[in-house]
Amino acid sequence: MQDTIEQTHPPHVTFWRKVKTLFVKIPLLGWIVGAIVAVLVERLVGSGFASGLGLTKEPALFGLLIILKTPSLIPGALLYVLLIYMLPTVAVAWATALFANRIAALLLKKHILIAVLVHLGLLYVVLHFWADISGYRAHTLKLALIAIMVTLSLNIINGYMGEFSCSHPGFMALGAYTSSVFTLSLFTDHRFFGSAVLPEALGPFLFPIGLILGGLVAALGALIVAIPSFRTRGDYLAIISLAFMFIVKSMIENMEFVGGPRGLSGQPRWADLTTIFIWTVISIWIINNFVRSTLGKALNAVRDEEMAANSMTVNTRRTKITAFLFAAFWAGVAGGLLAHVLQYVNPSTFGIQKLAEVLAMVYFGGLNSVYGSIVGAVSITVLGEALRPLEIFKWIIIPLILILVMIFRPPGLIAFKEFDVRRILQPRNTPKKEVKDDAA
Amino acid sequence: MGEFFQNLVNALQYGSFLALIALGYSMVYSILMLFNFAHGDIFMVGAYIGFGIATLLVTLASFGALALPGWLILVLTIIISMFLTSFVGMLVERIGYRPLREAPRASAAITGLMIGIILETGNLALLGAKRVSFPALIESATYDIGGVFVTNKKIMIVFVSIILTLALHQFVTKTKWGMAMRAMAFDYLVVPLMGVSINTIARLTFAIGSALAAAAGILYGVAYPVLEPYMGIIVGWKAFVAAILGGRGSILGAALAGFLLGFIEIFVAMIFPSTFRDLIAYSIVLLILVFRPHGFFGEPYSAKLRL
Amino acid sequence: MRRGLLIGIICCLAVGLIFSGCGKKEEPKIKIGFNIPLTGDIPKVGEGSKFAAEMFKADINSAGGLKVGDKSYQLEFIYEDNESKAQSATAAALKLITQDDVLAIIGPQSSKQAVPSGEICNANKTPMISPWSTNPNTTKDRPYVFRGCFLDPFQGPVAANFATEEFGAKKAAVLFDVASDYPKGLAEFFKGAFEKIHGSGSVAAFETFTTKDRDFSAQLTNIIKSDADILFTPQYYDEVPLIVKQARELGWTKPILGSDSWGSAELMNLCGDDCKGSFFSTHYAAAGAKGATKEFIDRYKEKYGYVPDDVGALTWDSIRLLVQAIQNTGGLTGDLQKDRDAIKDQLAQIKDFAGITGNMTFTPDGDPVKCAVIVKISQAGDFEFYKSVCPQ
Repeated sequence: MQDTIEQTHPPHVTFWRKVKTLFVKIPLLGWIVGAIVAVLVERLVGSGFASGLGLTKEPALFGLLIILKTPSLIPGALLYVLLIYMLPTVAVAWATALFANRIAALLLKKHILIAVLVHLGLLYVVLHFWADISGYRAHTLKLALIAIMVTLSLNIINGYMGEFSCSHPGFMALGAYTSSVFTLSLFTDHRFFGSAVLPEALGPFLFPIGLILGGLVAALGALIVAIPSFRTRGDYLAIISLAFMFIVKSMIENMEFVGGPRGLSGQPRWADLTTIFIWTVISIWIINNFVRSTLGKALNAVRDEEMAANSMTVNTRRTKITAFLFAAFWAGVAGGLLAHVLQYVNPSTFGIQKLAEVLAMVYFGGLNSVYGSIVGAVSITVLGEALRPLEIFKWIIIPLILILVMIFRPPGLIAFKEFDVRRILQPRNTPKKEVKDDAA
Repeated sequence: MGEFFQNLVNALQYGSFLALIALGYSMVYSILMLFNFAHGDIFMVGAYIGFGIATLLVTLASFGALALPGWLILVLTIIISMFLTSFVGMLVERIGYRPLREAPRASAAITGLMIGIILETGNLALLGAKRVSFPALIESATYDIGGVFVTNKKIMIVFVSIILTLALHQFVTKTKWGMAMRAMAFDYLVVPLMGVSINTIARLTFAIGSALAAAAGILYGVAYPVLEPYMGIIVGWKAFVAAILGGRGSILGAALAGFLLGFIEIFVAMIFPSTFRDLIAYSIVLLILVFRPHGFFGEPYSAKLRL
Repeated sequence: MRRGLLIGIICCLAVGLIFSGCGKKEEPKIKIGFNIPLTGDIPKVGEGSKFAAEMFKADINSAGGLKVGDKSYQLEFIYEDNESKAQSATAAALKLITQDDVLAIIGPQSSKQAVPSGEICNANKTPMISPWSTNPNTTKDRPYVFRGCFLDPFQGPVAANFATEEFGAKKAAVLFDVASDYPKGLAEFFKGAFEKIHGSGSVAAFETFTTKDRDFSAQLTNIIKSDADILFTPQYYDEVPLIVKQARELGWTKPILGSDSWGSAELMNLCGDDCKGSFFSTHYAAAGAKGATKEFIDRYKEKYGYVPDDVGALTWDSIRLLVQAIQNTGGLTGDLQKDRDAIKDQLAQIKDFAGITGNMTFTPDGDPVKCAVIVKISQAGDFEFYKSVCPQ
């Protein structure tokens, strides 16, 4: 039976399968090392190579901007991506596969934490060198990382708990404003809050406290949505959360001491790539542990059948309230980071448009899945930037892509998939069960 | 006191729009259990189609080719636009909802949201950034009734929306199709087994909802004659609030909730500083749902909810 | 199959190299970025800016380019859509600065995008001119950021004085969008100035609504009840017709006064007869304009079919300011950062620049000192010059 299926495949399918088997043995570590080499190559010869190809600069987002803007440069852009990114990555990853597998196994044997830290450190090196080429890359990367946090936190409610919450922009606004007020009043001379209380040098160290405060205030606000959720579910809760978003926006517009609709500006430049990277990693780590814990499973139980969950000794009220507060906390932290990246907040940032954007990210990536949230957040952010040359048609193409994803994969691209760190980091030289499954 | 009655009139007009749009939401929501987030934009499309037809008829009339009086043009515009917009609704259903009938409900909500964005941007790309002015079809007349100013437009708008609401209610409760719809709302699994096609019912539901949105769009154009591609967003979301507030399965409830939301907004602006309007109005909505967790006329949830 | 792929790659390489060969010989160019809202809440503003810029570019490039020092440059304008969002505007600014290597940026137009983008431009040492942003924070403490229009603290008192002198108003009513910073700022400055003249409480009604609202009947009912002598509504041209029409329907017969955001040709298309006879303060009067202003208006109208909005005129002036500053540098070095610094220095030194929206001199903050014009909407629907008010 197996053979007959094999034979019916057209030749290009078997070709790709062969290519695939070439690469299944490369562990994540190998890919990251390859990527490091690629970004180093770019750093060394990127600009010279680009001008040799007729490009004015290193392409910002893997050549996508150039391809859409000036079609005559397509070969150049493709060549650049091929030779600078793909070739070194693949070549190095392939060449070091054996070695990388050994290291990966060694690291995992020591302690999973060490393995994770080493991988993250190397990943940071990749991102750092990639973003260092231009401020635009760094900015896009920062926005993408923040989007990951927001998407993940919304996925807790909309994916894992199965409610349709519209209140996330409100939580973000609360976090953004709280942390902005914290940093502006303590560390800077500001029009509204008077002169600095603490020396500015302390700021970057106390900045996390501001973010956490922002998260806590957002969590406090979430009580307004969480408590009605005991009795109200589904569509009615969606309305409550929507009303909450309108209320927060209107409240901030009326608060003159934070600038009303004019917003707050002049936040110090403390949200650099390192800070955001660390916060994003922490949030992924904690949220992933949360959703895989008993409480996370209780969330799924509440989603699938609340009454049954209740009778199976799941404390539904506690579960719901924890989920809401937890999700709101991370949305608040993300809001605080966003305010410090833009160095500006105003209430109209956190309206219906933001809601549509965040919802799109969650459902594009996939419900109930940490993987999905990362994929959704990054791809929508990057698409939003990469399709800029299309101008107005950008907002026809992106919704079209989303509709197609919804039609062909209704719960999202990578839904209902566990994010198992150990499995991601493991060496690939020994044939694993998943690999077999893939081939069958 | 005059102020109170004046605002009563104001709220009736504003509430009419929310009610009419909420009806369309509620149709889809009650019968198919879907959020149709494209509805606000179907409303916009309806208004633009109406604008096109009205402009055409007015131009024809000015050339003397088809000299119709203003009110007749308005009636024709409403009817033709309702007819045409119902096809837009069916198209939205075919593209965005039918392929997703077995999918999580929220996914269908997202496709609706995205279709809405496409409609907005498509309009912008086709017609440009220009705002258009809805032609004044009927001569505006203002009546001063003891210090309360009422215009003929306001009276017409309130009447038309009440008539449409009642007509829809009659249709749903008295006709065979209406019965099929109610049956579908009651149990969407068993009804198809009884020989009622779920596709037909879905199409019909979207068509009727969109036609009502088109009527609302034209009346909106008559009352607030500046049309722009994003005009449906805020009204749409507010009508969505009204539709859910009315309660699932209750079409009249949605209309009443629409009027209620209009009253809340107008009277909050009258009593409190209008700066706090949204804050207070939505706090009231929130409180209502805390004390009536299933809306005004909705039934408590059954386990059949597909989320 | 694999051979096919290999051949494909080689072909790609060859084509790439051929193309890269021809791409080299280019004339020297000056790149200017535009950070404007082509989609989102106010696409019309973006369109007006883009049209004005296109017209300017065509003028210069068809005349053989811009002469800076002893070299001629072709102008290249890069338009980025900021979707009327703060987040997108900052990304667009960074893209223009670090990816497209523009010499300077025009825009964003509205303050909610101009404030954060100004921070980005200042931090990256790139000159930015916002033609339309009236928020003081846009340029405050930012040597690289300039603007092309006057600020609200100036326009508010102009309107208040005019209401007092022209109509003898003792009590005023204000209706504005509380969620939008331009109307809100202006409304507050108007209130301050009016109450300074007539004592506190003389602004009898201070009513608000929220962006995209179309029904103002409750607020207008309050205003009519307040017995004010004049209604000041610093709203955008697409809201003004609705406000005016609804006010008339509710029985308001007293004068209505507006601000520079009324100044769009579309106002009269949308408003019809109801707006005739109203006044507003603005940057320039289209009807009866003379000299360069008239020439600009006529050409714009011929090319795009409508009289330019104030944002178009201000964008035109901002580009001219920038070009003037570029020429004043006496020659570009080709070193991007040096050129950007030189342009910034030259912009700050510009004195008595004759723009089509009035003469401009920059304050140390980067704000122009310029006169406001009061315009009357005539019975023919034209924006007629009524009087001019200059800062003391």
